[in-house]
Amino acid sequence: MKKSFLVISSLIVFALALAGCATTADLEKVRAQEREINAKADQALQASQDANANALKAAETAARAESALKAAEERAKAAEERAAAAEERANKAEAAFEKSMRK
Amino acid sequence: MHRIIDLAIPLHRLRLLVVPFIFILTLHGCAGIRSVEVIPPPLPTRPAETIKQNEFFIGKEDDAIGRPAVIRLEKGDTLPDIARHFSLGIHEISLANPGVDIWVPEAGTRIMLPLHFILPDAPRKGIVINLAAMRLFYFKENKKSLTVSTYPVGIGTIERPTPIGQAYVKRKVFRPTWYVPASIAERHREKGDPLPSKVPPGPLNPLGEYALYLSRSSYLIHGTNKPSSIGLKATNGCIRLYPEDIRELYEKTPVNTPVHIISQPYLIGQINGVVYLEVHAPVEEQRVADLRKLFARLKNIEKKTKRKIDWGQVDKTLAEVRGIPVPILELREKIEKGNENIVEVRHPGKLYGSPEMPQLSVEAWYILAAEHRDATDAARMAAIISHQGPPIPARVLAKRDRYRVIAGPFGDMQTAEDTARRLKIDLEVDGILIEPGNNR
Repeated sequence: MKKSFLVISSLIVFALALAGCATTADLEKVRAQEREINAKADQALQASQDANANALKAAETAARAESALKAAEERAKAAEERAAAAEERANKAEAAFEKSMRK
Repeated sequence: MHRIIDLAIPLHRLRLLVVPFIFILTLHGCAGIRSVEVIPPPLPTRPAETIKQNEFFIGKEDDAIGRPAVIRLEKGDTLPDIARHFSLGIHEISLANPGVDIWVPEAGTRIMLPLHFILPDAPRKGIVINLAAMRLFYFKENKKSLTVSTYPVGIGTIERPTPIGQAYVKRKVFRPTWYVPASIAERHREKGDPLPSKVPPGPLNPLGEYALYLSRSSYLIHGTNKPSSIGLKATNGCIRLYPEDIRELYEKTPVNTPVHIISQPYLIGQINGVVYLEVHAPVEEQRVADLRKLFARLKNIEKKTKRKIDWGQVDKTLAEVRGIPVPILELREKIEKGNENIVEVRHPGKLYGSPEMPQLSVEAWYILAAEHRDATDAARMAAIISHQGPPIPARVLAKRDRYRVIAGPFGDMQTAEDTARRLKIDLEVDGILIEPGNNR
């Protein structure tokens, strides 16, 4: 009995040892895989964040550009109006001058 | 090696010189107390020509005179001042330089001096005035040659145009009196500026110093007290010339000289194997008839020369109306370089006839004519006031972000008030009198 117990125990221990060996390797493998996957996840996350940031940046840039364009258009319009007003003043002055040249 | 001259004079000899000197000065001073009529000095002659602008010899086959030129503007130049110096009218120089501000042009700009003229299609005898070009030509035959003198003119307004037709010089008068026509007197009365029945010779006389009275009653060729009006439609039908030009014309034109007044807006002339077209603004009612005549002449040239006119250039020249000869047909294979070359004229130190600007003095009267936010507007106004006839000195004084147009200096309150009144009547400017600093 004792002998049988010993044999069985030895077998169990042996089996366990074998299983333990298999588990460690697997575990290591799994851990390695996990690490790899994590790294990839990190990359993906970073990429996603970068993409979001770029998209946001692009949107902001587009908005700024649009705003700048609008401001430039308004400035051009204002300049045009100022030039037209200056021309009108010049024409008025010229008309007054020509009238003053009569007898 | 310079010679050193000893200028020391012994004291007793100095006394001998000084006493009679003081005596002479005293006598002169006494003479000065009496009022003496000051005869104005003779009008200065135009400075030496850097480019021919008035007098030309012409051959029988010549259709044009002069040559185009350019000049670079300097700070303070106005187109009327440049025009007068080169015997051009305001309209001529402005038309030849579209887009250039007449009163405040940018310094450094190169502008054209349109000193190239196609002669009008009229007998080359006596005085020929082309109203469309606002230019007078005086032809004089001397034995074997023909000379032409040319001057810019001011002509009648749209309401009172200069009449077209033939006349002759009936009489000439130096320092004429202006007998004010009833219509003009009425107009001035309405403006609050009543005129006397006659204006004697002097700075207020719009006829200037010389007048050629024409056989056509009430029409004259005369000078002016408003030189900046030459090249404008500003008269009541008469022909106006710069003071220096009417003097020349007066001296060389005998009585009975024929005067032919025409209106030819489209001029064709051949120079050195090139046919040129010169376009001025036509009278609206005559536009179609004038164009028909022009096209007929151009077709005739094509027929005779068997060459094609550049009709694209003709259309462009008709549209632009710049008053300068433009080539539209080359008759020779190899064109000789001649008058069509543009010459650059050196800017003279001082422009003839440009307004004088007296020094400021706190003891004088001034008029604040206007205050502007824009420096250009202020400069333009000051220039216009300075070019009134008689001239009113005016300048711009900057104060922070404003630009004040100040007319003056004036010696007394009466003169300042009279000038303020002129500014109001002629330019609708409400000036504010500025008293002298010491409240004299």
